[in-house]
Amino acid sequence: MIKLTIDDKTIEVQEGTTVLEAAEAAGVYVPTLCHHPQLTPYGGCRLCMVDVEGARTLQPSCTLPATDGMVVRTQSEKVLNARKFVLTLIFSERNHFCMYCPVSDGDCELQNRAYDEDMTHWDLQPNWQPFDVDASHPFIILDNNRCILCRRCVRACGELVGNYTLGFEERGADSLLVADYNVPLGESTCISCGTCVQICPTGALIDRQSAYQGKETEVDHHIGVCVECSVGCQRDVLTRDNRLVRIEGEWDAELNHGLLCDQGRFLPLEDDRSRLLTPLVRKNGSLKAATWEEALQAIASGLDQGDGLAALASTRLPVEDLALFKSVFADRLAAGLVTSLEEGQSTASLSALADKLGRPFEASLDALKDTGAVLALELDLVDEHQVAGFFIKRQLLDGTRLIVAGSSKNKLGEIAANTLALEPGKETPFLTQLLDAVKNGSEDQGVNDAVQSLKNAGKPCIVYGETFASHADEDALEALLGLADALGASLIGVKGQANSMAAAQLGLEAPFKADGFKSAFVLLGDEDPSQKLIKTLEAVPFVVAAAAYGSQLTGSADVVLPVTMWAEQSGTYLSLDGRSQQAVKALDAPEGVFTSQEAMLKLAEVLSIEPDLDWSAQLNARTPTAALQGA
Amino acid sequence: MSILDIDERILQVVELVDLRATPITDLKEPDETGVDVGILEGGINNTYNEEVARKMRERCKFLVALGDCAVFGGVPAMRNFVGVDAALRRAYIEAESNDEEGKIPSSPELAVMTRVRAVHEVVPVDLHIPGCPPDADVIFYALTELAQGRIPDIKDDKLHWH
Repeated sequence: MIKLTIDDKTIEVQEGTTVLEAAEAAGVYVPTLCHHPQLTPYGGCRLCMVDVEGARTLQPSCTLPATDGMVVRTQSEKVLNARKFVLTLIFSERNHFCMYCPVSDGDCELQNRAYDEDMTHWDLQPNWQPFDVDASHPFIILDNNRCILCRRCVRACGELVGNYTLGFEERGADSLLVADYNVPLGESTCISCGTCVQICPTGALIDRQSAYQGKETEVDHHIGVCVECSVGCQRDVLTRDNRLVRIEGEWDAELNHGLLCDQGRFLPLEDDRSRLLTPLVRKNGSLKAATWEEALQAIASGLDQGDGLAALASTRLPVEDLALFKSVFADRLAAGLVTSLEEGQSTASLSALADKLGRPFEASLDALKDTGAVLALELDLVDEHQVAGFFIKRQLLDGTRLIVAGSSKNKLGEIAANTLALEPGKETPFLTQLLDAVKNGSEDQGVNDAVQSLKNAGKPCIVYGETFASHADEDALEALLGLADALGASLIGVKGQANSMAAAQLGLEAPFKADGFKSAFVLLGDEDPSQKLIKTLEAVPFVVAAAAYGSQLTGSADVVLPVTMWAEQSGTYLSLDGRSQQAVKALDAPEGVFTSQEAMLKLAEVLSIEPDLDWSAQLNARTPTAALQGA
Repeated sequence: MSILDIDERILQVVELVDLRATPITDLKEPDETGVDVGILEGGINNTYNEEVARKMRERCKFLVALGDCAVFGGVPAMRNFVGVDAALRRAYIEAESNDEEGKIPSSPELAVMTRVRAVHEVVPVDLHIPGCPPDADVIFYALTELAQGRIPDIKDDKLHWH
């Protein structure tokens, strides 16, 4: 331990602690700009300068390691003057006129730091050098005029996301934040994760959707789990006057620590599907607006019970809704088929394995954050489950080996150290070959290299997704377990949508085929129905859809119930590695629109059935593939 | 003009001070013998503004820059990014509303346009009250403090730059 004094407070800290961290621990506030808790200390802006006894000059506290006996002052006149001077230099360097800027008033860290120092103005003449504004990106505007050259965005893009799109060109006052080799951001390798926007301390990187829509002081925050995939990132949904303003990653979240992908951050605000606001009932061949009562009566008289009934629910819905759905349709109405819209494609074979083993065999996603080698089986973490992909990508420069086994179209393969060909359906021979190579080596150079990397690396991981899970038979899974055992590797099954695993736990995994069903109930929520689903339902004479948005499916249904979309409902979600998290309601639903849960309770009432509301017991009734946490 | 945002409270201010000159009273300039406090709104945009600022500085013991234009240059300072020539050309020749004979006015009697500057770039300023505009409450606070011989402390909720 190291003992030091900061502003007359004596504090003990671990070796390796910076003076800034020590000051924070001692409850002493030191202003910062280029520093960010999620990034490696950088020492670029010099705002965090402190007076260290015996040092010739002021020292940047963010990069200065604390040493034993150090005496630090953060409020000396010298320090306070230096802070004002540093801020003056930054303000006068570019166009930092607050009245021109959308992030002014509480949302700009630069402005806030000036307020902290009681600065009413800055003394130096501004440099009137204009820079081009890059508005080529669909979600992000890059304005170098407001840049303070702190490089937080550049570091976040590389250190956190592993994408390395942003960088700097030129030096000194001409320094320019650029994408790739100075191409427009919209044409660059940017993947629109938006981390740079969230981490920018000024208005140099802003998002189009929320600029001028509401400042920090005017918005409400709703922190909960993202429901766009099964990774289970924590995010903050910002609203104003019952309107979505912006979505941000939660910096304090254990798993994603602030990261989100375009699907979690930007795309939910781009939804332009037409909303269903009233129940619809088919009369004389066409859908007509109806009351809830009429619609429920129409369902009661049209819906079969028993074998002729098929019921399907979206895995984007909370556990509470899925469990209620199962109770109503499987336990009370004894429907011939009760399943999820995913039909267990990404979970069924794995759940069966867990059942057989009688224990979970998959690891936490945290294993991906610190791994020496990753084998990705038929898995593309570039378009889906992206944040899990970031965990891998950002480690590649530190020597983590990525081995991608799949078709040549796999985008993750582009950044892999090894790529191995693997056709769907050939999983068993492929894994057996790898397992054999672990034990005896292989004549195939590629296989040998891959296996050696996995063997020699610390804490290897094997990740797989829907393609693997839907093709792997018992032999393939046995070979997978054998391989993981031989390598000491963690297994991570990247599942489908947000509540894929909950659907698996509830046994909603059966495939949906048009086996002469006379009626079907589709609890669609805000999911877009697939063409396959629409096609299969064509053969069913009576279809009920509970949906938030109009679609081809609701257009051809016989009764349509309007239900809430993701932001209008709360509930529990099980991530792909079994973490139980809450989604939090951020918006009030339009009048006459109910949650899927409320809609089903209304239906249960009309049908005079009493569903089982204890979902927790149902969830824990089956051995999960990954240990459930908090469920 | 944001001073008028303090509404009827202006009467309380008038009771405390001897108002010597404003742009809307008969006397436009402070007394040659000098006054205690002078307040300047607006940035320094041309040679006439420079003259006014110098005269104010000479005749006021305590000079206040009020509002973002006076403190930073404000919205007019946007033209500094293109330069005086381009700004004049755009306004008097290229603007869509001009006819083909549009020309940039030039007469020895007219002030010459300059780069837009904050007041403190031309003369020393004793107190800056930023804001676009400054809150009426901040203006009232500042005026009543000054009128009672105290220097207002512009910080915390009284301090904003937009």
